[in-house]
Amino acid sequence: MSDKLTRREFLKIAAVGTATASVLTGCGTAARYVTRKPYQDMPEYTLPGRSTFYATTCRECPAACGLIVRTVEGRAVKVEGNPNHPVNHGRTCSRGQATLQGLYNPDRLDGPISQSGGSPASPMTWDAAVEIVKGALISGGFTFLLGQTPHHLTDLISEISTAFGAPPPLNYGALGMFEGRATLLQAATALFGLPILPQFDLANADVILSFGANFLETWQSPVAYTRDYATMRGGKSGQRGYLIQFEPRMSLTAANADEWIPVAPGTEGLVAQALGKLVAEQMGSPVPAAFASADVAAAAQASGVAETELRRLARVFANSPRKLALPGGGALGHTNGLEAAQAILFLNVLAGNVDQPGGMSFQPLAAYNQGAAAATAFTGMQELVGRMQRGELKALFIHGFNPVFELPKSLGFTEALANVPLVISFASFPDETVALADYVFPDHTPLESWGYQKIAVGSEQAALSGSQPVVVPLYDTKATADVLLAALQAAGDNSLIAKVPYTDEVDFLQKKLAPLASEDGFYTAVTPKGFWAKWLQFGGWWKTGPSTMPLFAVNDQPLAVGVPEFSGGGEFFLLPYPHPHLGDGSQANRPWLQETPDQTTTVMWGTWVAIHPETADRLGVTDDDVVRVASSTGEIEASVYRYPGIRLDAAAIPFGQGHTALGRFAEGRGANPLAVVDSKLNAAGDLAFGATKVTITPTGKKQKLARYESRVGVYGYDK
Amino acid sequence: MNETVHDENVGKWTMVIDLDQCTGCQACVTACSMENNVAFVGEADAAYGRGMHWIRVVREWNGEMPDLTADFRPVMCQQCGEAPCEPVCPVFASTKSVPEQINLQVYNRCIGTRYCGNNCPYIARTFNWFDYERPEPLNFQLNPDVTVRSRGVMEKCTFCVQRIRRGEEDANAEGRPVHDGDVTPACAQACPAQAITFGDITDPESRVAKLARSARAERFLEEVGTEPRVIYLKGNGKVVREG
Repeated sequence: MSDKLTRREFLKIAAVGTATASVLTGCGTAARYVTRKPYQDMPEYTLPGRSTFYATTCRECPAACGLIVRTVEGRAVKVEGNPNHPVNHGRTCSRGQATLQGLYNPDRLDGPISQSGGSPASPMTWDAAVEIVKGALISGGFTFLLGQTPHHLTDLISEISTAFGAPPPLNYGALGMFEGRATLLQAATALFGLPILPQFDLANADVILSFGANFLETWQSPVAYTRDYATMRGGKSGQRGYLIQFEPRMSLTAANADEWIPVAPGTEGLVAQALGKLVAEQMGSPVPAAFASADVAAAAQASGVAETELRRLARVFANSPRKLALPGGGALGHTNGLEAAQAILFLNVLAGNVDQPGGMSFQPLAAYNQGAAAATAFTGMQELVGRMQRGELKALFIHGFNPVFELPKSLGFTEALANVPLVISFASFPDETVALADYVFPDHTPLESWGYQKIAVGSEQAALSGSQPVVVPLYDTKATADVLLAALQAAGDNSLIAKVPYTDEVDFLQKKLAPLASEDGFYTAVTPKGFWAKWLQFGGWWKTGPSTMPLFAVNDQPLAVGVPEFSGGGEFFLLPYPHPHLGDGSQANRPWLQETPDQTTTVMWGTWVAIHPETADRLGVTDDDVVRVASSTGEIEASVYRYPGIRLDAAAIPFGQGHTALGRFAEGRGANPLAVVDSKLNAAGDLAFGATKVTITPTGKKQKLARYESRVGVYGYDK
Repeated sequence: MNETVHDENVGKWTMVIDLDQCTGCQACVTACSMENNVAFVGEADAAYGRGMHWIRVVREWNGEMPDLTADFRPVMCQQCGEAPCEPVCPVFASTKSVPEQINLQVYNRCIGTRYCGNNCPYIARTFNWFDYERPEPLNFQLNPDVTVRSRGVMEKCTFCVQRIRRGEEDANAEGRPVHDGDVTPACAQACPAQAITFGDITDPESRVAKLARSARAERFLEEVGTEPRVIYLKGNGKVVREG
């Protein structure tokens, strides 16, 4: 605005702006597409200086926490938790807090791009983009590769795939992989006949055996489980709860536990089975078939936990009124992961805690949460790569997932991608996969988007979490659902349109949500419009009270938990785990998440190799010395962090850095441990990401890690 | 006049942090930075100890493996009653705000001597060594209620004074006193473990007043006589169960 503008002129302009806004956002059908723009097109109900709040859903991980976003004059300025939301009760984690740095990231893609056949990226129109998508859909032979969010898009794409007779979309993501989600689903199916995730009532538990479950950082629904943990600490069950963590590395969860048991990697299942046998004996109940074959002495030998200790832990567990066992990703990401998951889940059956306070329960199966935990096993990715290598795939659509970064290099996804004639990415940021795509049709970022997210775990009530735009899209991006529906309509085949009868994304959402109005939710509405208004106001829909489903059957079968197998002849067990702030790596472009210190090491902005100080001494390295970590499949370099809380035979590397793309804050920073992880599987066909052994060799280089703890005074850092 | 106000409101706003519930997750650190327009400084400056975090979570190792334990303590400005940063400031930039009785930094008075930072036993103050860049459109998320600081000034936790003011104004507009829970700083609002409580300690019925009467209550470095207004509830300690 010119400095010479008089007040009178300014008021004139402002008046025109307001009038335009009321045409755009006033009554009628356009009210569904409210625009929230800064300054010149402010909606009429926005008062300068006063905030407007919108309820929506966080998509930084699949947990689906509810958010309230504070907007001032059309700009989003702060994200808070939605106090009424059943998952997070008004709270957020650091990743949720930094969502705005995704929305306002300076490296976002600002419109559709063509870079077909390796040509330099050039902008194109959305009409041309829709034509490309239409062509790909009509010629068939396509597959959709989706992330774990958002669910409304998965549902729409499932319908589109069905209409075209294409295979259903694949859902994958590093967070699901690191928590062994597909393994857990299969274990639940084997034991209970239900392919749904169990949820755990930590709040009311008294003794918790956590087998590598990092529920304070990234596991399943960290905000909900952190609240439960704090309640458990507050002694809701009658006395201060007691947490025992089995994990080779002292994670944040282990650091908060009353007992940290550094078991040998991959022996969690053996320990669980041995404990099961001992607990049954202690409780005086018959030993279930699942635990009958347990060899306590052998488990003690393999895990490095003395037999007397196992017996003590079994007594602590057996004598507790409310006992709970958690199957974490660290235990499941091994070659014996499926059996480990079954053994751990069966500990809950033995404890008799199913559907009890402080126990394990299942959300009822309903249309609105069907597929909430959908996770393709790693074999699904292998099959896809096989099809790509054989040239069977004509087109690959990728949304919400960065496979080039999030899949182990040993899978060969990047190389196979070259055999796909048409790769279309819908990413909002220029990530590694975008660099290899033929076309990029950027979706809005989550805070500019409509949608819903199903809730798999973390909520007492069955719930569906809703998203709405809190600001008008910043750039020339387009909702992927709208692009696909436009392509479908442009194809002009009425039989297809009859199968996917939606005019646009909002129409799809309203039709999908319509049945909820007659369900027993916490609000009611007479008209569909009224329901939609409340859906947006409350940020979703949920039941009034706790809802669980009883178990129909428990399948107690003999269980053989094998000794874990490892690939590579290295000396050290490699422990890759998701970075607590960077999650699946897509948050590495948020500067404040980079600068929020890691909880246990206080490192910012980099990748470290955590090894025990004694190990470091033996290798002749110290803090900040760069080492080469190598396996049979690859090698990376990173700085050493002498970490007192890790086994002498293990090295831990956080996953999330090592980007070769994704913008200025992420690029060229740290290393990706998945470059050295071998593609070994467990019996569920899921990746045994913990089954790689590595060598560590000094390189003689030094690269200083930015660590908060070295700040002895504001000015005191001495080198 | 000022004396009267001071006497009526000694240590009014108080924060209580339950260390038994705090997990050290750092959500408060990020939340604080988002609310208060705290600049990020980049890897090189962060490594040099110039990070601008208004809260830090102090992690302390105890013992050795396998009996290693870790303690976490979020530390921000403790809003000292007898603040060591105040008497050393030659320009009265570090001073008490009389109505709220909290210690504030007046940015446009500050000339950057950094005496206050040197004198703070909690290392709660951070200094703007440079004008740190926020590439567009990252500046869109700046909170209009909070001053954006420039090079050469000290800054620190304000107990989210903008939220205190907003709470008081809203209560005033409704013609009622400020109720317990009307004012919540960004760290307390985000905390997934609900470990941080904020309120008026002079109201005996407020949550902070009740928590402050706990046998676990302690103040950090109380022995140096700073009279902090942040109260920590000690962790319950780890007692190994024998079964």
